[in-house]
Amino acid sequence: MANKKISKKDIGKLLNQWGQQFAVFTPSREDGVAKMARWEGKDTGFLGWYWNTVVPPKANFLPPMEEMFRFQKDKEGYRIELPPDGGRQLIFGIRPCDARAMKIIDANFKELYQDPYYLNKRKSALLVGLGCTNPGESCFCTSMGVSPAESSDVDLMLTDIGDELLIEPVSAAGKELITKSRGLKAANKTDEAKAKEVKKASYNKVSRKLNTEGIADRLLASFDDQDFWEKVAAKCISCGICTLLCPTCYCFDINDELTRQQGTRFRSWDSCGFPVYTKMPMENPRAEKWKRVRQKVCHKYEFYPMSLDVIACTGCGRCIRLCPVNWDITQVLNSVPAKTKVGK
Amino acid sequence: MTTTNIRPSKFLARDNVYLPHIAVIENIIEETPGIRTFHFNFKDRKLQKEFSFESGQFGEYSIFGIGEAPFCISSSPTRRHHLEFTAQRVGRVTNALHRLGVGAEIGFRGPYGNSFPLDFLKGKNLVFVGGGIGLAPLRSLIWNVIDNRDKYKNIALVYGARTPNDLCFKYDLDAWGKDKTIKSVTTVDKGDKSWTGRVGVVPKILEEVAPSPKNAVAIVCGPPIMIRFTFPVLEKLGFTPEQMLTTLEKRMKCGIGKCGRCNIGNIYVCRDGPVFSYQQIKSFVSSEY
Repeated sequence: MANKKISKKDIGKLLNQWGQQFAVFTPSREDGVAKMARWEGKDTGFLGWYWNTVVPPKANFLPPMEEMFRFQKDKEGYRIELPPDGGRQLIFGIRPCDARAMKIIDANFKELYQDPYYLNKRKSALLVGLGCTNPGESCFCTSMGVSPAESSDVDLMLTDIGDELLIEPVSAAGKELITKSRGLKAANKTDEAKAKEVKKASYNKVSRKLNTEGIADRLLASFDDQDFWEKVAAKCISCGICTLLCPTCYCFDINDELTRQQGTRFRSWDSCGFPVYTKMPMENPRAEKWKRVRQKVCHKYEFYPMSLDVIACTGCGRCIRLCPVNWDITQVLNSVPAKTKVGK
Repeated sequence: MTTTNIRPSKFLARDNVYLPHIAVIENIIEETPGIRTFHFNFKDRKLQKEFSFESGQFGEYSIFGIGEAPFCISSSPTRRHHLEFTAQRVGRVTNALHRLGVGAEIGFRGPYGNSFPLDFLKGKNLVFVGGGIGLAPLRSLIWNVIDNRDKYKNIALVYGARTPNDLCFKYDLDAWGKDKTIKSVTTVDKGDKSWTGRVGVVPKILEEVAPSPKNAVAIVCGPPIMIRFTFPVLEKLGFTPEQMLTTLEKRMKCGIGKCGRCNIGNIYVCRDGPVFSYQQIKSFVSSEY
């Protein structure tokens, strides 16, 4: 199918069209924090300021807090009721790194047991990607096999070609969507050549590099190197931000909330950075900070690939730029010794 | 691989793995001042009839409004009048659980995890080593073995608790003590005036009992400290790491390998365990077990 394009000033009209069929989400700022928020029908000019969201779009599929069911007790006993279905989502402007992250964590939610809350939202959603034109200093997507302005993990891929956005269909659902959309213009050769240039330039702008070669083996060899991990963890304050806002972190907690009449079971984001995460009444296998930092790093770059064949990192750089103490995953991984110290 | 393969539970409520089935507590046994065994049945009679599990598997139990906690099913699949689990009052959920009475409704999801490898145990001498509430998963297997007695060779049990008051399942210990096909030794770390049995920690008594490793498998369940001291004793007695099985305990929430917290290396204790051989544990990249 031929590529399309749309003028940036017409983007509101297109989102309103899509809004009739989908719950549309676009980059938005709430209290200064950029996240994907519900499109309210009015263009707030997000294309002008949008770089990437602070809260990754995983929040649309694994919300920070999510009702799983509610329960009520009457004279027959407990009754369990499921929350209503939220409808089909369309996420507009997702970056290629974050779209890849969704694919990576799909594996966790599909493995052995289907996670109905995550998968129902995910299966019905459409992702409209928007290529980066200005990757940041903390970004290292190209080291993780992600291109900042190209993606096979979305339904439609958009590229900023100046006053217009080039629209390329990626999936069958994406093709269907643009066939049904009104007000799109056919893209010409000049548009496509321009997009190609933008993509190439964007790729070359990603300057931070992570050497992933043999990373799992190096981590395995260094696993018991306590000195190394203590050094790595020294400045960490266990705030959990690098995990909570990581697009590939999916750990969650499950709890109940009770009012007089009704109770709710909900799940919420959790982090292996918190000591309570593994705390049992009698003991805690990861009470020490260095063990928790080791778990975070090794789970992403060693354990996850061991079980699900993919490194759980897309180089989005959030854990670097959002860390309050400038902890830097690329620095850590590039410094994992090639061989463990003998005799340790 | 000596532990059995994992396969998903067939008993999902409304096809949603997180929805609990409603169950009713039918009897409560006070094992020790802080430990109780709860007998329960599903409210749904069809499920009660169809439900199946294997020794070693666990469930996620809901106290509605308080939360969920994992406990192994401590009854045997060969005795299906009701199901049992045993819980020590230590945290939020177990405190609420201990306040429940007969007739109260709880939630149950499961059975989850792998199980004791019966095919591997068949035709072998079995050495059960238990401490405190750690007898709960063992007794599911012990009754299972007793109910299929001809399939197994000699059975020995070394079980201990801190004091005579801390011994769980005294009714089972009595029954096994009378069974001439079982060599059952009960010990306490510290006796009292009326205690006439053995005194000494489990690993020490195990060393004295000195079961032969020949064609044998040792199944060890108890507090981590007991497990850590028992493995070396078994090794000294000639047991290989493949001949030692145990169950691991970790903080769990989902019970199905998704929420992340029971991860060690590339395994999830809830999904790939809780039954592991010492050989497997030794191959973990982590000393965090």
